[in-house]
Amino acid sequence: AETRLILGEAGPNRGARAAALQHFVDEVTARTDGEVVIDVQWGGALFKANAAAGSIADGVADLGTIISVYFPQEMVGYGIADLPVVNSDAWVGMRATDDLMRGSEEIQANLADQNLVYLGTFTTSAVNIGCKDAAIRSVADIEGLKVRGVGAYGDTFKDFGANMVPMSIYDAYQGLDTGLLDCSQGYSYAVGALKQEEVMTSYTLLNWGQVGALGIFMNKDVYDGLDEGIQTAMADAGVAMADKLGELITADNEAAVEKMRAVGVEIIELDAVERDKLVETGAQYVDAWAERASGVGIDGTALLAEYDALLAKYAAERDDQGYPWTR
Amino acid sequence: MDGTLVGLVAFGSVIGLLAIRVPIAFALALVAAVGSFVMFAFRTGDFTPLRAIRPTTSMVFSNSFDLIHSYDLSMIPLFVALGHIAYRADITTKIYHAARVWLARVPGGVAMASVVGCGGFSAITGSSIACASTMGRICSPEMLRMGYDKRLATASVAAGGTLGSLIPPSVLFIIYGIFTETSISALFLAGILPGLISLLGFILVIYLWVWRDPSAAPAFTGTITGRDKVQAAIDAWPAVALFAIIVGGIYGGIFTATEAAAICVSAAVVIGFLQRKLTLKALWESLRETCIQTASIFLIAAAAKIFVAFIALTGVAPAIVNAVTDAQLSPVVLLIAIAAIYLLLGMFLDPIGIMVLTLPLMIPLVEGYGFDLIWFGVVVIKLLEIGLITPPVGLNVFVISGVVGREVPIDRIFAGILRFLTIDVLVLILIMSFPIISLLIPGSM
Amino acid sequence: MLHRIERLLLDLAAFAVAGLCLLITVSVVLRATVNGGIPDTIVMVAELMVAAIVLPLAAATTARAHIVVEFLSNMLSPGAQDRLIVLGSLVGVLALMPLLYAGWNEAAKNIASGSFYFGELSLPKWPGRIIFLVGLSFCWLRLLLMAVDDIRTIRAGGHIDADGGKTVDLMAERD
Ligand code: NA
Ligand code: NA
Repeated sequence: AETRLILGEAGPNRGARAAALQHFVDEVTARTDGEVVIDVQWGGALFKANAAAGSIADGVADLGTIISVYFPQEMVGYGIADLPVVNSDAWVGMRATDDLMRGSEEIQANLADQNLVYLGTFTTSAVNIGCKDAAIRSVADIEGLKVRGVGAYGDTFKDFGANMVPMSIYDAYQGLDTGLLDCSQGYSYAVGALKQEEVMTSYTLLNWGQVGALGIFMNKDVYDGLDEGIQTAMADAGVAMADKLGELITADNEAAVEKMRAVGVEIIELDAVERDKLVETGAQYVDAWAERASGVGIDGTALLAEYDALLAKYAAERDDQGYPWTR
Repeated sequence: MDGTLVGLVAFGSVIGLLAIRVPIAFALALVAAVGSFVMFAFRTGDFTPLRAIRPTTSMVFSNSFDLIHSYDLSMIPLFVALGHIAYRADITTKIYHAARVWLARVPGGVAMASVVGCGGFSAITGSSIACASTMGRICSPEMLRMGYDKRLATASVAAGGTLGSLIPPSVLFIIYGIFTETSISALFLAGILPGLISLLGFILVIYLWVWRDPSAAPAFTGTITGRDKVQAAIDAWPAVALFAIIVGGIYGGIFTATEAAAICVSAAVVIGFLQRKLTLKALWESLRETCIQTASIFLIAAAAKIFVAFIALTGVAPAIVNAVTDAQLSPVVLLIAIAAIYLLLGMFLDPIGIMVLTLPLMIPLVEGYGFDLIWFGVVVIKLLEIGLITPPVGLNVFVISGVVGREVPIDRIFAGILRFLTIDVLVLILIMSFPIISLLIPGSM
Repeated sequence: MLHRIERLLLDLAAFAVAGLCLLITVSVVLRATVNGGIPDTIVMVAELMVAAIVLPLAAATTARAHIVVEFLSNMLSPGAQDRLIVLGSLVGVLALMPLLYAGWNEAAKNIASGSFYFGELSLPKWPGRIIFLVGLSFCWLRLLLMAVDDIRTIRAGGHIDADGGKTVDLMAERD
């Protein structure tokens, strides 16, 4: 018999992440020979991103996207992928995170307590920063700038003397245009999608970290009711999703940077020495996370070590064999 | 369980409950809760009511709580408070006096000035509801005091409020831009001309209305000297100053549109105290009135949000869009069908809800027909704006109703709205027939 | 008693509006002058919004400020209209029940789990949930009592004043 599942997604059905999600949905159907069909509710019609964890656990949707930053307590284990640790490669980040989430029994138990099961991960890709009439060539340049930033990255900018302006990424265009913002933290593809290059004069590639703790989770009761074969198919589709998004987002990011260059935005690659200062200052937020993780019975320090090893493993795989889509 | 059937029964039930005087918020919330319960109970095929309790209550809670728990929407109570405070500090009366003196020879001049005020306010807020709440609080009571026809005094501002999303900045255009990956700045520019045409249309309606029925807008009978005009304009300085603060602050990069509301309230309080027009007691009363008024509006908006989530569960929106897709209509017929769908959904649902329910399916469809997505965005936003003033669920009308209270029953406001709707449909046809109206400004930038 | 609580809740809501206005104003001024700000303004404003919107609901109910469409019911006899008013309150009682049940669960869950918002202050999630529950509970109670009251009035042969006769003294200064 055909099983129809509802997937709740707060974002639109546009862009690389939506395409990867659609890929997951199609793969699940293909890998189960049409036995499982997933209907996606886009745009947060069922629940907003800040209610996703509870809504999936309560069965409003059978599965859906959870963005960890809205649930620093509930998603503490997953939050490791949002930390400012060095890795700006989208694919490497996703595969390492994916391995970690599947491998860690502590995280799985913590999720099970909340009636959730992990299925697959996304990333927003490398964190960079674009400015208007300003340029960040060294961390000293951050001092006194009005910056829109998020997460531990924003906190780190603040530590370097940035004046943080609360604003969504969608308002950043206007903010940069009017001068309310000097700089906006972001991702290359998002700069392109929101046409921010029109109001930027410089774009600094930080070669730092990512915001990557967002992915697909499933209601555990519903998951447990599926055959083992279907569960495996969903897990495989989750891994395939990371590969797909890696392919799409890497291309989008490169295209966006090219477009910025074409319209005269100065592309700055932050010096490794300067980048290391960011990493060093950001380390306190990594420590704070490890402490929080310990609070819910997850060994944060051990997990960080494992994460580092996984990042190295997939970086090596990329260097040896290239990305999956180029093999 | 056939979701489309449940959805249609729900629409009917809402109309039924509203007809028998059930408060709008309760009608929407109850139908949505019962409907969702039914959908969840039949989720696995057979009827399992016990399993439906948890998802139903979870969905009802998160959708209502998240609507209220909002930084961005804080601008609505703040702008409502601004209206109350400015009124008690004599700021609104002064600007109205100025409008009246200056426009004494223009029939319906104050109503026209109100609509122009809505247009101006649209340039600083991205939300039609905020626009209607603020201007409604400021304009409608003053017009009623001047003896304007109740329908004109209320409907003009409810309609004028719909300019809020067409004239940039605009929350609806931002959401549309996200769903279509079109340039938000291009969408903003595209909305300007259609917004101004709508504004002129509303002024035309007022002109014709008062021309046919001069008693709808009593003329100023006293004699007015040039000196009176100058004095009235000088007396109106606080309102002008407030407006200058907002516009200067937003476009000068000092604060965001959301922050502007708070700055403006603070500035009005300071001006009120400095002019010795505002007392602490009056300020407190303004805030309490603000709370009562915004609570009832937000209760409806929260219930409407729950209703949207329920409609998402039923799949009635994709069913409609798919039916249109399968029909393989000619471009013109397709456009008419789309307009009909949005007008129909607009009767019940809020603009953002309609967008998240329909755009994921609608956009690929219209792209297939080769329509320009910027132009289509303007068409969609105009349609959604019309939905804000159509019965039975017309949020802008409810906002005005919340302001004027029982002095003007809702059906009188809707009766007045009818004339503005006529021009809205004409403007809509204009925008749909001549894409150049939308594309001229973004194309020349 | 309930009236006093309603007035208190309304005053708290007014405080919340004043508070969020002040919070935003001060953070803008700090940013424009000393390049500083208040941490987690967005979260605090959102929490205050819950207080501003939900706490006055009971008072709004007493004031009969819930918006209704009455042109059809106006064609009916006054007695029939009174019965529809009662029906409206009872629908409200029913409509709020799932919200109360979920609100209770949510509040309990958030207190137990120690959920908090991402930010410099890691502000807890439970206060807003508690405020939501309190505001809705008193609104629900008021609807129920109002329905009972109105039924009594009808039984006694009286007529319900749908114009919210109590609005005036609710708005007036404390006695
Ligand atoms: Na606007
Ligand atoms: Na409507």
